[in-house]
Amino acid sequence: MKLEVKDLRKSFGEKEVLHGISFSIESGRALGLLGRNGAGKTTTIRILMDVFRASGGTVTVDGKTFHPRDFRIGYLPEERGLYPKKGVLEQLVYLAQLRGSDRKTARQQAQWWLKRLGVEEYAQRKLETLSKGNQQKVQLAQTLVCSPDLVILDEPFSGLDPVNSQILKDVIREQIQDGKLVIFSSHQMSYVEEFCEDIVLINHGEVVLSGNLDQIKREYGHNRLVIGLEAGTEHPEQLLEEQLGDLIRVTGHRKDQVIVEMKEGCTRERLLAGLLEKKLIPEEFGNYEPSLTEIFVERAGDQA
Amino acid sequence: MKQFLTVLKFELNNYFKNKSFLLTTIVLIVLAVGIIAIPGVILGGGGSDSDNSASSNSGSESSQETETLALYDVNGSIADPQALSQAMGMNIEWLECSDENQVEDAVTDGTARAGFIVEDLMNYTYVVENRSMSDTLDATFSQATATLWRTQALEAQGVNAQEVETLYRSQPASETRILGKDSVGNYAYTYMLIMILYFLLIFYGQMIATSVTSEKSNRAIEILVTSVDSNSLIFGKVLAGAIAGLIQCVLILGSAVGTYQIFRDSWGGLLDVLFQIPMPVWAAFAVFGMMGYLLYAFGFGMLGALVSKTEDISKAAMPLTMIYLVSFFIAIFGMNDSDGLLMRVASFIPFTSSNGMLIRIAMGSVAMWEIVVSAVILAVFCVGAGFLAAKIFRFGTLMYGNPIKFSTALKKIQEK
Repeated sequence: MKLEVKDLRKSFGEKEVLHGISFSIESGRALGLLGRNGAGKTTTIRILMDVFRASGGTVTVDGKTFHPRDFRIGYLPEERGLYPKKGVLEQLVYLAQLRGSDRKTARQQAQWWLKRLGVEEYAQRKLETLSKGNQQKVQLAQTLVCSPDLVILDEPFSGLDPVNSQILKDVIREQIQDGKLVIFSSHQMSYVEEFCEDIVLINHGEVVLSGNLDQIKREYGHNRLVIGLEAGTEHPEQLLEEQLGDLIRVTGHRKDQVIVEMKEGCTRERLLAGLLEKKLIPEEFGNYEPSLTEIFVERAGDQA
Repeated sequence: MKQFLTVLKFELNNYFKNKSFLLTTIVLIVLAVGIIAIPGVILGGGGSDSDNSASSNSGSESSQETETLALYDVNGSIADPQALSQAMGMNIEWLECSDENQVEDAVTDGTARAGFIVEDLMNYTYVVENRSMSDTLDATFSQATATLWRTQALEAQGVNAQEVETLYRSQPASETRILGKDSVGNYAYTYMLIMILYFLLIFYGQMIATSVTSEKSNRAIEILVTSVDSNSLIFGKVLAGAIAGLIQCVLILGSAVGTYQIFRDSWGGLLDVLFQIPMPVWAAFAVFGMMGYLLYAFGFGMLGALVSKTEDISKAAMPLTMIYLVSFFIAIFGMNDSDGLLMRVASFIPFTSSNGMLIRIAMGSVAMWEIVVSAVILAVFCVGAGFLAAKIFRFGTLMYGNPIKFSTALKKIQEK
């Protein structure tokens, strides 16, 4: 199954908030939908879920127009909520039935997920009597109770403690391994890096970066190196810029390491020779691989 | 359809598991059965003729109980107090007093139920401790003294007073042959049915609006609208409210009617005006009452979707409640003239026809074509209101924060 979003646009009144979002994703892969607050991630997801209608653009699955009701979709919205005064199992069965499961299967699935998430003892309890963490597990159970083909998680780690985060990570990995198509929106880049092979970075309603995460990192790291000078060296960035400014340009730093970009004509050998010539002994010298956070800040942070 | 049935079942379960719903139903059934059964139980129960005759006897005995009344006859106008008792149709033990204070003391200390200070047969003062709404003693005494005065006056002129009284009391023998409907007889049960509709609508309308709003306030709505289409959701909710209301109504009314059938003789048929409802009126109540109820229920559902907090529901629902109240008062006033212009017009306007046509069918004369046309108009409006409610519900779903105006919602759904 291949989901393709092309030139998605959305206006609220006169204001256009999505200016042509495009991306695609296939089953068995996870797509990280990234962006700052108000960038347009949730609006994009809500259009996919048919909560909002797009002002323009298309969403297709295997070339055919995507109608959410034709698929089993596990959706965890950013605005979490269930029935606080209803029993946990009762509402899970209800929601699974609404998404096409028969009552017996819905009940079996609900019980399976409650057990998988370690909250089966609360099956008959009212939701409001559960702790916040357990309520979030029930939220996750409602997302997956219908055995979805497509899993859409909007800020799934928001408000989770480390233990629950680990449970959620395991579940998401299982879903990906089971061949589900997972779309994942988050601010927390470390989680995205763990699961997602592909990312789409949205800023102010536009895609500013998209593609395979490893490839993006490689491209970002291309021609860039990290250099760690001897401990105690004062102002290493300034020193490198002054001494080797004809070969490199300092682009940033990580703790005691300096991130540099090689200028045209410069090679790793020439740079290493230059360092030694200037008596700057590199304790660390290697390829620079940016973190997703660094890429995010660089692409989305400057337009704040 | 499957989704609609799932929603309907879930919402119905919500009602049937709701403690206040169950408690209200049980309390009202117990009250209805209890009140209707009381005379039968007190008088030995049952509906046999012998029981009935026993109850009649006992009733007659109770009416013959001796009352003690104080009397201060200032000028000796009442020659024979026992003749006055007879004229009053009561067994009275007269406590004769020598001044006004004695009369008041006797009444105050409870020796006498009430007292009279009589100047002459046409001038007297009635003395009573507390006058109840149903106190007819003064009127009975007044009538009796007037009769005595007329008797004395007529006899003074040599006329036989008894003959004159007999002449004046003569009434023509008459019977009424009603070819259409008896509004006097139908008034009570029609009024009761209108009141039942009123309570159903006010009670369940609020519950439906609250059910919609609470799904917004607890944020379950986004999961719901992405799982099920809004038509199934709103129709399921409203119809569940209608079915729950109908079941509650049938249980309470059914208990009352059933109990009355058992104890009817004990009541001497007194409540026939409430419970002997003809089938056509039941049918009109079922069709027009339920469709009218659904029309308003869809309205309450859509208004519930326009607010995000349950405390805003009353304010949002106020205009619709006012429309219904206007419809209700038109019905109440219209019952006095069920074939008048007001009721004819009201019986075709969807917001008033549920009450209007019910009244015309129960109390007036209405042609079959009028019933059919009114029912079709109401049904079309009902379905239209359902789909409009679904659209507004869908629009209002994710509009959190301040309440949305109905006019704004209408404009927005037209833009889409």
